[in-house]
Amino acid sequence: MRICFVVSGLFLALLCLAAYAQKEFREYPGVEYENFPLPPDYRDKTEFTRARLIYPSVRYGWRRFNSWTIDYPRSDRHLLAGIRRLTRIDTRSVEQPVNPDDGDDIFNWPFLYAVEVGHWDLTDAQCGKIREFLLRGGFLMVDDFHGTQEWDVFIASMSRILPEHPIVELDNKDPIFHTLYDLDERFQVAGAQYFDSGKTYEKDGYEPRWRGIYDDKGRVMVAICHNMDLGDAWEWSDDPRYPEKWASLAYRIGVNYLIYDMTH
Amino acid sequence: MFEFLFKYPWTAFSKGSLVWLGFGPVWVLPLVIVLGAAILGWLLWRRRFGTGAVARTAAVWALQTAFFALLLAMLWQPALSVATLKPQQNIVAVVVDDSRSMAIRDGGSMRRDEARHALDRLLPSLSQRFQVRLYRLGQSAERVQSPRAFQATAPATHIGDGLRQIIADSATLPVGAVVLLSDGADNSGGIDLDTLSELRAKQIPVQTVGFGSERLDRDIELLEVQTPQSSLAGSRVAAQISFRQRGFAGQKAKIVVRDGANILAMREITLPADGAQQSEPLLFQSGNPGVRNLAASIDPLPGEENPANNRMTRVMEVRGDKPRILYVEGEPRWEFKFIRRAMDEDHNVQLVTLLRATQNKNYRQGIADPKELEEGFPARREDLFGYSALVLGSLEANWLTPAQHEMIREFVDRRGGGLLFLAGRFGLAEGGYAKEPFTDLLPVTLPSHRNTYHIAPAYVDLTMAGRDSLICRLVDDPQVNAERWKKLPYMMNWQEPGTPKAGAAVLAESIPGGARNRYPLLVTQNFGRGRTSVFASSGSWRWQMLQPVEDKSHETFWRQMMRWLVTGTPGPVVLTTPSPIVADDSRVKLRAEVRDKTYTPAPDAQVEARVIGPDGSSGTVTMRPDPAEPGIYAAEYSAPVAGSYIAEAVARRGKDELGRGVAAFRREDGVAEEFHTEQNRELLERLATQTGGRYYRPADAARITDEITYSPAGISVRQTLDLWNMPVLFLLALALRSGEWLLRRRWGLI
Repeated sequence: MRICFVVSGLFLALLCLAAYAQKEFREYPGVEYENFPLPPDYRDKTEFTRARLIYPSVRYGWRRFNSWTIDYPRSDRHLLAGIRRLTRIDTRSVEQPVNPDDGDDIFNWPFLYAVEVGHWDLTDAQCGKIREFLLRGGFLMVDDFHGTQEWDVFIASMSRILPEHPIVELDNKDPIFHTLYDLDERFQVAGAQYFDSGKTYEKDGYEPRWRGIYDDKGRVMVAICHNMDLGDAWEWSDDPRYPEKWASLAYRIGVNYLIYDMTH
Repeated sequence: MFEFLFKYPWTAFSKGSLVWLGFGPVWVLPLVIVLGAAILGWLLWRRRFGTGAVARTAAVWALQTAFFALLLAMLWQPALSVATLKPQQNIVAVVVDDSRSMAIRDGGSMRRDEARHALDRLLPSLSQRFQVRLYRLGQSAERVQSPRAFQATAPATHIGDGLRQIIADSATLPVGAVVLLSDGADNSGGIDLDTLSELRAKQIPVQTVGFGSERLDRDIELLEVQTPQSSLAGSRVAAQISFRQRGFAGQKAKIVVRDGANILAMREITLPADGAQQSEPLLFQSGNPGVRNLAASIDPLPGEENPANNRMTRVMEVRGDKPRILYVEGEPRWEFKFIRRAMDEDHNVQLVTLLRATQNKNYRQGIADPKELEEGFPARREDLFGYSALVLGSLEANWLTPAQHEMIREFVDRRGGGLLFLAGRFGLAEGGYAKEPFTDLLPVTLPSHRNTYHIAPAYVDLTMAGRDSLICRLVDDPQVNAERWKKLPYMMNWQEPGTPKAGAAVLAESIPGGARNRYPLLVTQNFGRGRTSVFASSGSWRWQMLQPVEDKSHETFWRQMMRWLVTGTPGPVVLTTPSPIVADDSRVKLRAEVRDKTYTPAPDAQVEARVIGPDGSSGTVTMRPDPAEPGIYAAEYSAPVAGSYIAEAVARRGKDELGRGVAAFRREDGVAEEFHTEQNRELLERLATQTGGRYYRPADAARITDEITYSPAGISVRQTLDLWNMPVLFLLALALRSGEWLLRRRWGLI
């Protein structure tokens, strides 16, 4: 009887643990890459990895494509390698796609990155989950969306996440631009379309916007990189055609934002 | 009866010595007895008595020998040599406790009235033989002319002080004895040894008469209330309330802590068995800076005999300073972020952080000026000692120089700072801390092997010590708190900290998922003037991220942890009083411990203390250095009225100010008299026994006059009292002869 009690207790504890514990690494087919090679140390247990937000995209007619996988996973792994090299953060070599619908899993990954948010279309439940994530201390970095129309799409979901918190321009003096590198001089970081078009902007997004949302204590909890494509800069940073100064700024921004998140 | 049989009172025998007034030297007496016994034996043996002759002869021989010895002893004229007071030439001091506790009614009559009745019986006989002086005893002894002067109104009883005064009188007056009528409820902590020694040296016996019930039937009494003398503003503080009760076992009562009219905390408790002592903690928030008069009480129950002893007041200084904690972290990680966030909301403790963000770049937060920590970890003692606590995160020990290692030891040992080691890839055993001075400082003996840091889920559980610790108190109720800890989300890492040292307290343990073993998670210990601790995980941040934003478990724990680190850290000037409560006295001893910026004792400082009284008036006293202890300064302050006082000592060396220290104390008049109101018979008996007197019940008080007669103090003469004609001797002789006659009759020889 006593043994049964102990065994059932252990079983329950394991069940609870399984329910709470963070999800293992998993891969999804991307829009641009499939069967991207895994680094040999991808199973290593580490303190940090960047979480990539899985979200539903807006429909264009009958079609809805997985815009959350843009640049995935090449961009993530380049950035993670950079973080390993440039900082003392114990970093995994592979990213972690995170779905806000996966129970409490999102809360295990305090640094969340969302790409192409000019196409996201979050449900109310997802908005509520991301809101709770941010208020508990999580950090969201959004990137790679351009022009007025994509801004409006972004706002349509973002305004349901934190309706009471305004979006503001980040001041040059904000610590987020000075945690590791002093980034007073910033410029538009173009996407890979530059290879063909020669333009640094997309749509009507001529000027890069460094925006953010502050919490009640004056800490940035959402960093909004509008009219730029840092994701492409990380992704193509090993391509000689991609200008070094954009790649460098993208890495510095990525590292600064991460250090900021880990210190604020 | 004793006096009828032995002719003199017992005291005469106890104080006198036996002498022989007979016609020969006393050594002849046993010789003659032996000779007589032998002759009697020889005569009786010749006339043996029939059957069983040996036993009968022996019995008769024994009785006759005893009778013969008794007669010889009486012939030798035994006598008692004893000192007796000369009539009407000696003074007997009759001291009557006139404190408020003598107004208590035991069984219907007031103790004061019982004392008056006893005096009515005692004084006439005393006055016939001695000059009697009446004293009224309160905080001192005051001479009065009539027993009517006793009103039981004095606010305190200081028996020792009163006796000392009478001893002083005896230097010029022939005081033959002291008669003390009291309930023994002394408020000065008992009678000091010097007074007792002096009484013994002067051979003045103290005869004591005890009044009052030795046990109240229905009463709850607070025995002690312990609160910290100082606290940081906004801290969770515990008042430990100890009490005892009789007559209410098993009943419910409410314990309350108030500040003025504000109730700070209240809880219902179940009263223990009669006579058993119980101690209950009551938690409350210290509030804003200033002096708190904390009144702890148990609400009186119907029928209590003495409700006045249900309440005690304590004074606590709530500090307005903002201690600074230096947290050095070796790598950016989530634990660092969430500890910082927890401390962001604490406005009374400042967290200064130095983070090794890259191999060659540090990121500083919370610094007071751009120069602070510019060169990394402080290299000078005065810089490091400016912080009240130090946290070492996932940081290789070798990143610090050996000189900095030694500074950290001195930071704890000499400066009195708090030190917390955190787990991590480069923390504890992984960081190379298994070497001097960290092996001394750590509250654990680190494991000798590596790979002690595990990235795997673990839960946490409180130990018994942790249940009592304020660091771990997430909610006030201890039971609910323990359950709360069990339900905290998992931590995603844990570290083997090694074995806790003797004297260290393990407050919490980590339980790796699916494992049976438990590992110490939170261990604390005192070290030198400071304290050290280990938190063997860097995964507590999930308590924040995996719980609703309204849940404050993570913030509460880390704030309390950090406050524990700094609360006991002294400043360069520490001002103290022997007790925060000065009962029925105006004299307050102030003691200041003064150190310089490196926390070395400063014997060459100028120290002044400014004291502000309850009415807002202030006074300044100069504190004098103690030649025996460098850096110690002392002064005595006279608190003119009852109430709360705050004293601030300022130490200067030349024009430089070394620091300031604050102490709060409270003068209470007449409060102590409400406590320990049962008759303290033990004290009265001890006082009487140790001075050559006796303890009496009120009904026996009239016998004191005879006892006092045989006192060696005052003006006495040595008397020789015949003992040969004591009735008991004649009765004994008669019994011996009758015994022999009865035996002979039984054997048929008569």
